[in-house]
Amino acid sequence: MFKDLFQILIFPGLTFLVIFSLFAEYFDRKLYARLQNRVGPPWFQPFADILKLLAKEELIPCEANPRMFKLAPLFAFTAAITAFLYIPLWQIKTLFSFNGDVLVVLYLLTIPTLSFFIGGWYSTSLFARIGSVRSMTQLFAYEVPLFMGILSSALLANTWNLKEIALFYSAHPWFWLFNLPGFCIALIALLGKLEKVPFDIPEAETEIVAGSFTEYSGKLFAFLKLTLDIEMVVGAALLAAVFFPFGLQMNPFAGFVLFLLKIIFIVFLLSLLRTVMARLRIDQMIDFCWKYLVPLAFVQILLNLAVKGVILK
Amino acid sequence: MGVVTKAVNWARIKSPWILHFNTGACNACDIEIIATLTPRYDLERFGVQLKGTPRHADVLVCSGPVTRQIKDRLVRIYEQMPEPKFVVAVGTCACSGGVFQDCYNVMSGINAVIPVSLFIPGCPASPKAIIDGVVKLLQSLEESEAKK
Repeated sequence: MFKDLFQILIFPGLTFLVIFSLFAEYFDRKLYARLQNRVGPPWFQPFADILKLLAKEELIPCEANPRMFKLAPLFAFTAAITAFLYIPLWQIKTLFSFNGDVLVVLYLLTIPTLSFFIGGWYSTSLFARIGSVRSMTQLFAYEVPLFMGILSSALLANTWNLKEIALFYSAHPWFWLFNLPGFCIALIALLGKLEKVPFDIPEAETEIVAGSFTEYSGKLFAFLKLTLDIEMVVGAALLAAVFFPFGLQMNPFAGFVLFLLKIIFIVFLLSLLRTVMARLRIDQMIDFCWKYLVPLAFVQILLNLAVKGVILK
Repeated sequence: MGVVTKAVNWARIKSPWILHFNTGACNACDIEIIATLTPRYDLERFGVQLKGTPRHADVLVCSGPVTRQIKDRLVRIYEQMPEPKFVVAVGTCACSGGVFQDCYNVMSGINAVIPVSLFIPGCPASPKAIIDGVVKLLQSLEESEAKK
C-alpha cells in the first residue's frame, strides 16, 4: 500500500516526473537558444514559470462553461502521468503490467489532446475554437503513423505487453536495429502530438494567438504547460522503451542513468527538428502524414513480418 | 514573510511574460521593442517571453499615445490580464503624449487611462533603454518585497 503510493506520488510517479519534465523543458529551450546563437534561459527558468503561474489569478471567461473549462487541464495532466507508470524504466519489469499495456499507454497519451480540444472548445473564444479544431484535425493525421510505428516493434516481439517487448529484445540483442525506420516515423509523429514546430499548427502564435490555450490563465495554464512537458518525457520514454530496449539488465543505478540519457537523446532530436524546420499549413501536414509517413510505416511492418518469417523461423 | 511568498516573489521576478500592444504609436517604438526581443539582445536570458494573449502575460508593454479609438480596447486588454500585472510605457508619446499632446483625437499618455508602473522615454526608446528599464522595474519589485 505504502509502496504503491510512494511509487505513484513520489518516485517514479508524480514528483520525479514533474521535476524531470521541467528539466527536459529547460534542456529543450536551452538547446533551441544555443542553436539560434543565443544565451538562452537559466536552469531554473521552467520552475520559475510554473511557480509564477501557480500563484497567479485564474480568470474564467463568463461565456465559458466553468466546469469543463476547469476539468480539462486536470484530465490531461492525470492521463499523461498515468501513462508513465506502465513504461519499463531501467529494468525489464514495470510497475504495473498487463497484456496490451502498450496500447493503453498510447491511448492515455491521446487523452491530453482530447482535453485540449474540450478545454479550447468550452472556453468559447474564437481563437481557442479554431485551435481546438486544428488540434483534432491534426490528431487524425499523426495518430495512425505513431500507432503503426510503435506497434511494428511490438509486432516483431509478438506481444502487446511492454514488459515482454523488453524481454524479447533482451533475448535478441541487435533486433532493435530493424526498427530504426519505425523510430523515425514515431519521432516525427510525436512532434505532431507535442504540437512542436513543424506541426505547431494548433497553437500557431502568429495566426491564432495561443490556440486552445488562449483563454487559460494562472493555475489552469500551469497544468496545461506541465502536461505538455510531461507528455514530451512520457512520449520520449515510450519511444526509448520500444525502440532502444537495451541496457535493461544492468544494475539499477547504471540502468537508470542510461534511461535518462535515452530520454534526453530523444528530446535532443525533437529540439533539433523543431529548430531546423518552419511551420507547415494544416493541409500540408495532413498530406505529409498520410502520403509519406503511413506508407513508410507499412514498409516497416512488412520488413518486420519478413524478419519474423525468415530470421526468427 | 513566509518561504512560499518568498519563492513566489522570486518566481515572479524571474519570469516576466510580456504582451506588446500598440496604442497608436508611429511604429518606431514597436520596431525597437521587436528588436529588443531578437536573438541579439536575447531577453529569454531574464525569462522574458513574448506572449500572444493577455491571459498569459504579466507585463503589458504599450507604445504610443492613447488615441480615443484605442482607449476602450486598451482598458479591455488590461482587464483581461490576471493579477498581479504591470504596465510599461515605452517611448515619449506613451509617457506623456509627446508631440501628439492636445490633438483632438489623442488622450495624452498611457497613465491617463490605466495605471503605469514604468516609463521609458525616448523617441524611439532604444533596445538598451528598454532592457535597462525592465531590469529597474524588476529590481524595484525586489526591493519593495524586501521592505515588507
